[in-house]
Amino acid sequence: MMNAIETDQLHYRAAKTFHISGLGLKVPVGAIYGFLGPNGSGKTTTIRLVLGLLRPLAGRISVLGHEIPRDAPSILAQVGFVPEQPHLDSILTVRETLAFHAAFYPTWDWPWAERLLRQFDLEERQPFGRLSKGQKGKVMMLLALAQRPELLVLDEPTDGLDPVVRRDVLSALLDYVSQRRASVFISSHLIHELERFCDWIGVMDNGRLITQVPMERFKNGIKRLRISGAPPIPESLPFVLLGREQTDGATETWLVREWEPQMSAYFDRPGVTLTEVMDLDLEEGFVELLRTFRGPRA
Amino acid sequence: MFRVILYNQWKWSRLLVVLGSVAGFALPIVSLQGAARADASPLAPAELLRTVQSWGVLYPVLAATLGLLVAITTWTPDHRGRHVYALVLPVPRWRYVLLRFGAGALLLAAPITAVLVGALVATSSAAIPAGLQGYPVALAVRFALAVLVAFAVFFAVSAGTARTAGIVLALIGGVMLVQVIADVARVDFDLVGKLQLLVLNWPGPLAIFTGRWMLIDV
Repeated sequence: MMNAIETDQLHYRAAKTFHISGLGLKVPVGAIYGFLGPNGSGKTTTIRLVLGLLRPLAGRISVLGHEIPRDAPSILAQVGFVPEQPHLDSILTVRETLAFHAAFYPTWDWPWAERLLRQFDLEERQPFGRLSKGQKGKVMMLLALAQRPELLVLDEPTDGLDPVVRRDVLSALLDYVSQRRASVFISSHLIHELERFCDWIGVMDNGRLITQVPMERFKNGIKRLRISGAPPIPESLPFVLLGREQTDGATETWLVREWEPQMSAYFDRPGVTLTEVMDLDLEEGFVELLRTFRGPRA
Repeated sequence: MFRVILYNQWKWSRLLVVLGSVAGFALPIVSLQGAARADASPLAPAELLRTVQSWGVLYPVLAATLGLLVAITTWTPDHRGRHVYALVLPVPRWRYVLLRFGAGALLLAAPITAVLVGALVATSSAAIPAGLQGYPVALAVRFALAVLVAFAVFFAVSAGTARTAGIVLALIGGVMLVQVIADVARVDFDLVGKLQLLVLNWPGPLAIFTGRWMLIDV
């Protein structure tokens, strides 16, 4: 299967203290890929690399089957981008902004843009610079959607928006994706928001991709196990042990990844009892993943 | 594509273009004010030439000012957005730069035309003494070249980042420093003078700004 975005052994140095290393991102075609990570983890830098705004030191980037940055000018016509900060000309009105943008995109859909303009309740004569943060967010999403892209790259598109605006923006996005089967690469730190509609998840920390898995596998795969009489040095584990803590004298809590129900058989041994398997929600899983990545407790 | 960039450019620099056009139209007329009132007290040829020459200093100043300000406004929207929006547009970067340059240059056609019209009106309505001739078209062509050279130079400089501007300023500062050190050490080395000759004398890039700008001449 072709990937909408694919990077291979991508290296980039942004400063003396920050670099992206060995990034191997794979966003399947038609997927809504949530790109999670704490502030400063490299999400925006990765997006800028993917769009050809930055040039990597090494590695390969492919977007919709084309090499980036070599083919960026042609492939960007099929990519809708919503940046973290609105970068549009502040003195153009909303209507003028739309006209400016439309001139560059051959697939621009004016009737749909008009519909979104009404749906988002935007005042078309208002200069972009005088719009509220929520209205600017709506204009950015309108521009990205009305150009009818095959891939949407969204860098924290709902950050700082109130719940009503956030709902409007996300419902327009989901409408489009369901009609067009477009791929979406969305970065956010609003974990619960991503949990609702993403089908893939990638987690970035300190310039490295810690994990990328289907959302269901991520949610179901991270568990907290309560074990009494746990072996001191676990051998040939069928799952990934992220961390272990002694709860009381005889009981330990293990944090594991890639857990499947049949793996409870691993604990069928003398003196060892698996007493409880607890689910973690996405946020807990994300936090635990980061904790173990930064300093393994196992 | 060019139309929307031109419109965008117009919104940023319309005040400059209008003021520049008014100044460009008025300058030749004002410079020949004495000659226009021929029946009252026609200026003697020498006096007229002196007046025209002294007003002529303002043409390169106007050309440089317009070129500088329009070049700055050409890049202002992109600088404000840290070039992110421009860089994700589906056009090659060289083409985007050409579009921006073309839009700025086209808007500068207004003050250039104003200078031509002003010069034609001034020379046709003035009583030019025998032996002297009006050069409205030559003056307007020279003004056009000067405006475009200024625009091109400042367009290139302002296209860069603050780092680029810093490098340019550091180079200028470096030259001045070398000159000061040479002067203090009493070394016979006129770097500034040599650079000035190189830049301002033909075929230097800024030679167009120097010399006499005469609407009326022998």
